[in-house]
Amino acid sequence: MTSSSVRRIAVVGASDLGCSFALAARQAGHDVTLVDEHPQSLKQMSLDAPYFYGAAIPAAVLNENAIAQVVLESNPEIFECFEAEVDVRVGTIAWGAFRNAPNSAHIGTPKLGLVSQDSNKLLEHDVLVLATGARDFVPSFAGWDLPGVFGVKAGLALLDIYQCYEGKRTLVLGTSPEAVKFTRSALAAGVEIVGMVEPTQHFAAGRLAADEIAGLGVPVLYGRIITAAEGKTAVNGAQLVPTNGSGTVEGLDCDTICIAIGRLPNIELPAAMGCQLRFDASVGSWLPETDAGGMTSAAGVYWLSRFTGGEEQVQAILASIGGDTVAPAAPAESVARADYLQLWVDTLFQTGGSNVMLCQCEDVTRGAFLGLEPPRYLDGQLRHPQTPVTGRCGVPRIHQDQMKRMTRVGMGHCQGKRCRDEAALLLSTRFGIGLESIQPGSYRFPVRPLDLDLIAAGDETPEMRENWLYWPAAPENL
Amino acid sequence: MESFDVIVVGAGIVGLATAYHAQKSGARVLVLDKGATGYEASSRATGYLSLRGETPEECALAQVAEKLWDELDEELGYPTEWTQKGRLWAAIDDGELAELKATFQSFQATDIGFEFIDAKACRDLIPALTDKTLGGIYTPRAGHANPQRTTQAFAWAFLDRGGEIREHTPVLSVLEKGGAVHGVRTTRGDIHAGTVVLCAASHTTKLLEPLGIVFPLAPVRLEAFVTAPLPPLFEEAFIAHGLAVRQTRRGNIHVNGGPFEWIDVDVTGEPAKPTTPLVRNIAQRLVEVFPVLRKAQMLRSWAGIVDITPDTMTLIHSFDTPRGLVAASASGHGFGMAPAMGVAIADLALQGRTELPIGDLTLDRFASLPGDWRRAWNWQAGNINT
Repeated sequence: MTSSSVRRIAVVGASDLGCSFALAARQAGHDVTLVDEHPQSLKQMSLDAPYFYGAAIPAAVLNENAIAQVVLESNPEIFECFEAEVDVRVGTIAWGAFRNAPNSAHIGTPKLGLVSQDSNKLLEHDVLVLATGARDFVPSFAGWDLPGVFGVKAGLALLDIYQCYEGKRTLVLGTSPEAVKFTRSALAAGVEIVGMVEPTQHFAAGRLAADEIAGLGVPVLYGRIITAAEGKTAVNGAQLVPTNGSGTVEGLDCDTICIAIGRLPNIELPAAMGCQLRFDASVGSWLPETDAGGMTSAAGVYWLSRFTGGEEQVQAILASIGGDTVAPAAPAESVARADYLQLWVDTLFQTGGSNVMLCQCEDVTRGAFLGLEPPRYLDGQLRHPQTPVTGRCGVPRIHQDQMKRMTRVGMGHCQGKRCRDEAALLLSTRFGIGLESIQPGSYRFPVRPLDLDLIAAGDETPEMRENWLYWPAAPENL
Repeated sequence: MESFDVIVVGAGIVGLATAYHAQKSGARVLVLDKGATGYEASSRATGYLSLRGETPEECALAQVAEKLWDELDEELGYPTEWTQKGRLWAAIDDGELAELKATFQSFQATDIGFEFIDAKACRDLIPALTDKTLGGIYTPRAGHANPQRTTQAFAWAFLDRGGEIREHTPVLSVLEKGGAVHGVRTTRGDIHAGTVVLCAASHTTKLLEPLGIVFPLAPVRLEAFVTAPLPPLFEEAFIAHGLAVRQTRRGNIHVNGGPFEWIDVDVTGEPAKPTTPLVRNIAQRLVEVFPVLRKAQMLRSWAGIVDITPDTMTLIHSFDTPRGLVAASASGHGFGMAPAMGVAIADLALQGRTELPIGDLTLDRFASLPGDWRRAWNWQAGNINT
């Protein structure tokens, strides 16, 4: 490789794909920086992004040094990256990415905003590869804010990465592949799985997985749905009802509830950068539009994700960075998750009703959200409910930004990571409008809430300081 | 062809306030917007009603707005989060103090009742202020509200009275014949109206060009952010250190200010509104003014496009030729001024005249504006902070 073809590549996310790409790019002679937000600070973990830890984070994670070591050791690929002289930065949040674009012509070299507990930098780069992974999908039910309720990615992180899982008797919601993976890990760690709840009569992860679970002696509770997590200060049980409407409530003894219905891609960075998005019905989410080489609508910005393919993406992106034309790969196998997410949300709504808290940050119920009621801090001063559906001529539309501004669902501390997807699914069913016709709420930088003293920077240029106005002013000689 | 009494182009706060008052006066009004309701400058507003001591020509109209704000929740039937606890404009270093004293001299020409207060008085008002505070200009008048909720309140109140809003319906031209307007051409066909009101920011400028009218506006991109909600710290509209800072009713600290970028916009689509690393510098200044916010969390940042007139003042004009045409831009003052502008513009649209004090705010003041004023001002697209 000639020195002129060496590119400065920033990779966000040290998943297996992210590490694999970072290594391959380094071996190809590029200058590579690999960034990952894990291990997260306790404050970041408590915000439930990207993983939904809920209200009971084990005390063991307070020992940040010990945890950092454990987390790194759980990811051997990161060590390979270290050894290959990839510039690895863990515990670092890539909070924003900036480049010259329409109406922003002064960024110059593309910059990636990086913040950790002891560093606040803008990393200049030529190429940005977003391997930002997945987050938990966690629909609401009564008591889902109790300590002991968590998402499957969080559960797996506590079991396999942080190695400090505290549950003894866990109820698993869903029969997705993630639910199976969690069940395996939990059993191996000596946790009792009291059951897997499945609203249909079919095991979502397929027949082979169902057989494996049966072989492990875990009961699958078909045709049931959760109506409540029980407990005053922490989970001590769960209420299930049959989905066929027969109405008999069953109580189940457990100390933890793992929501393992599915996961969704972390698209905050490409979305907030203004990359073009498309709705992918098989994933149940918006994803960045990409070409065969993995490039988004923003030149030099790539999307690398298990939601859109496998290892073959690594070479395709490298080829594209090198200027080669990339032949389109066979489309990734459809996982058809959206229907499963919708099924859960619809069934939870039918059995749990309107009065369940949808938005934990702002304490808004499903009913208040769908009825476009004003938030609690305004004491119900609304004259009468209005409809969120606009566009009387042409197709009806719903704009999730307008919904969130009026109800505050998605405006809170977790930046909508816990509620925005369920909110869209609820709107879709209630108003009969396809998810693809519901304009998603905007994503904004910073993609994680950041303490002001971590992100504050005193690097104003003298020109900035001299001309800093709070508002544009007319020329004085006018 | 469909027909209305009045077509308002632009579903921002000024267009919706106009539409509300015109509909309330008995006209059949249609509002058209190329995008969604309250999604452009109205979504970037700081949320202040300033009494415009800086621009005395706007002062009288701002004071009309102040009275209307007091009754707005009741008038519209929806909460706007209006909070009238006055405004403090403070200085935290010697340079700022000298500037503020000069500003105060000009403010004294108004009848608003500004007071120059010392550091202790500033910190009595807002105890969270830095101990570096040196003094400030205070008025118990002025206030703030929630821009999104207020814009939506006007929209809902207008719909309640039978008005109609069509979003995602760009207007391509104003239809004019024989010296009078007779409607608009949209991407979904022509719609008739004897009166057309343009409250569509730079879109207005472009719609008026074919009629030979120069309506001088320059779009600028500005940035803002909010923190996660905090316990109550202060209720005043607050300015200091190059920032406008307010605490929302919910508790978020809302802050903006600093370098801005002049741009050009296209009339059919939503303009890109990228943010930049500037939020790091705004955060630094915010913590310098309020050290107590060090551990507050930046929750989200965004940018908005605001249209600025050559003298940064409100522009409201009713045209003799063609008849039936009214155009307005609030030049970034629209949030506070909208309640009064809505009445004035509706008056002009329905009666051709208004009792409200807008005599200094018409297009006449730009009669000798150079054709290349944006270049002369250094306000062309791509310039920063000029």
